[in-house]
Amino acid sequence: MKNLKLAALKGHKRSVVRVGDVEIGNGFTMIAGPCSVESEEQTIMIAEQVKAAGADILRGGAFKPRTSPYSFQGLGLEGLKILEKASLATGLPVITEVIDPRDVSWVCEYADILQIGARNMQNFSLLKEVGRVNKPVMLKRGMYSTLAEWLNCVEYILHEGNMQVIPCERGIRTFETYTRNTLDLSAVPALKELTHLPVMVDPSHGTGKASLIEAMSLAAVASGADGLMVEVHHNPAEALSDKEQALTPQEFNSLITKVRHLYDYIHNDSILAGKNEVPEEK
Amino acid sequence: MKKKELGLQLDKIDYQILKLLDERMELALKWKKLNGDNNGENEQTKFLDQISNRNYGLASPQVCTQVFRSVFAESHRLQSKDFKLIGFQGAHGAYSEVASKVWNSGLIPIPNKDFTEVFENVAAGIYDYGIVPVENSLGGVISQVNQLIIGTELYVAGAVELNVHHCLMALPGTDHRELRTVYSHTQALEQCHHFLVRNKLEPLPFYDTAGSAKMLSEQAPKASAAIASHLAADIYHLDIIKENIEDFEHNITRFLIFSKEKPEVDGNKCSIIFSTAHKAGTLFKVLEVFARSKLNLTRIESIPNQQGSFAFFLDFMGSDKDEKVRQTLDEVRAHTRGFRLLGCYEEKKQL
Repeated sequence: MKNLKLAALKGHKRSVVRVGDVEIGNGFTMIAGPCSVESEEQTIMIAEQVKAAGADILRGGAFKPRTSPYSFQGLGLEGLKILEKASLATGLPVITEVIDPRDVSWVCEYADILQIGARNMQNFSLLKEVGRVNKPVMLKRGMYSTLAEWLNCVEYILHEGNMQVIPCERGIRTFETYTRNTLDLSAVPALKELTHLPVMVDPSHGTGKASLIEAMSLAAVASGADGLMVEVHHNPAEALSDKEQALTPQEFNSLITKVRHLYDYIHNDSILAGKNEVPEEK
Repeated sequence: MKKKELGLQLDKIDYQILKLLDERMELALKWKKLNGDNNGENEQTKFLDQISNRNYGLASPQVCTQVFRSVFAESHRLQSKDFKLIGFQGAHGAYSEVASKVWNSGLIPIPNKDFTEVFENVAAGIYDYGIVPVENSLGGVISQVNQLIIGTELYVAGAVELNVHHCLMALPGTDHRELRTVYSHTQALEQCHHFLVRNKLEPLPFYDTAGSAKMLSEQAPKASAAIASHLAADIYHLDIIKENIEDFEHNITRFLIFSKEKPEVDGNKCSIIFSTAHKAGTLFKVLEVFARSKLNLTRIESIPNQQGSFAFFLDFMGSDKDEKVRQTLDEVRAHTRGFRLLGCYEEKKQL
């Protein structure tokens, strides 16, 4: 960790990453949306639903790094155009994954935040490329990566001059197969000790099971995360990717209410100090 | 040759035939303006005779005759309608054509190689109107056009303010990641400078924005794109890669529409042109007249004249049917030389 000249917390104020009116690292940020951009209709519908529920940022994949070359690979440029339309329609900023260094400048033309997925965490040419642009980058933790390896990848981006980086915990591979990954929430307070950057959590990939997402979201709030990224689909059974881990808009609505309450409870000093004045019931 | 390549070539030829068909119809309409009721039937009969005797080529003479009979019939059908034509400079899809649709979408836009041709054809009665850009909020006055206005006897029939939005377009199936060069008019390339730098694209100047889109569709240069209007992408069947790529959102071009006859419209804006004697304070005297009449000036421009003097263009809010405006203009006339009321018209905007 001695090599972290720019990412280390030491002597640094905590960083806030600004995207439009949203401040990641100041308050709790909710990112939600479909795993993949499937069509204009689907994306705008889900964007409006998550916006109504209170999401701050819309997610949606246009370029999909899939395990199998025969799986849906995303709509590509067409998907980016749809995301831009959904952003204009709802006013939500947009985050989307970039997997090809040649696409970085083009994704910047359409999206507000670039995401580097877990599989590309140590794709150093891609890291250097996103380090040279003027857009925030969310760097997901690789599924076999230690915190030190992860933070060194963060350092790559910072070193190129882009200081707007948001590490995101999304689960690691363990011997457990019941869940898709094992969400390592200890990484959140650990990262908070090590770096000044805001830290997000992705419980959708972290568990791979819709039924576990709410509990792990609340746990992420308690762990000190600055925000969550969750996958929402209007009809999960028909989603073109990651259908098992997508929440319905109703489930997301209930999740966001609990998350915001818990966050307020933890961060309201007067409540925790027992000084909360509850109005007397008469 | 691969199957896909062959398919693309066939597509290209079909689009070319379609485009030539449209060009032929345009010429038929221009023909009518010059020849009145003579719809060219004699020449067409002669042509049909010739192709019915042709003894080379794959398509049979019967089919060729059939095809051209339909073409001529369509020309006659269009000629029988009372279409109004509006000439513009550039290829189809030019921003002038976009502006002409803002002014009156019922007119038939006809492309011209330069501004002179537009003015000449309006004066000759081939076009009912001509539309030309006079100034741009970023690039300033288009001096070539303003020179032509000084010499013209045409009237201003209308004006349009258009917020110009540039699109990056490429042939269908082009991978955006493989683009290296971008063709367009130098002004459009300059207006999208930051976008081109961000995406590491090399700008290549071309004579016209829409012309670059047309060239792309006809010659298909490798790894290339064009910057032109949304309309141009539609016309030349190009895919839009990114809309609104201009560096500054506020990019307004003002167009004037000219006609041969003085238009009978209730306008709210007037354009005049004049020059003044080479004496101190002559322009001031003219402006003073407007100030006293409380008429709001919206534009004043001086253009060097061939005789070593200056022509002044002046626009103001008001109608030439208003008595106060008439009196003001009489007074202005007394202070100037070569005074001319270019027109009183309504200005339309698409911002």
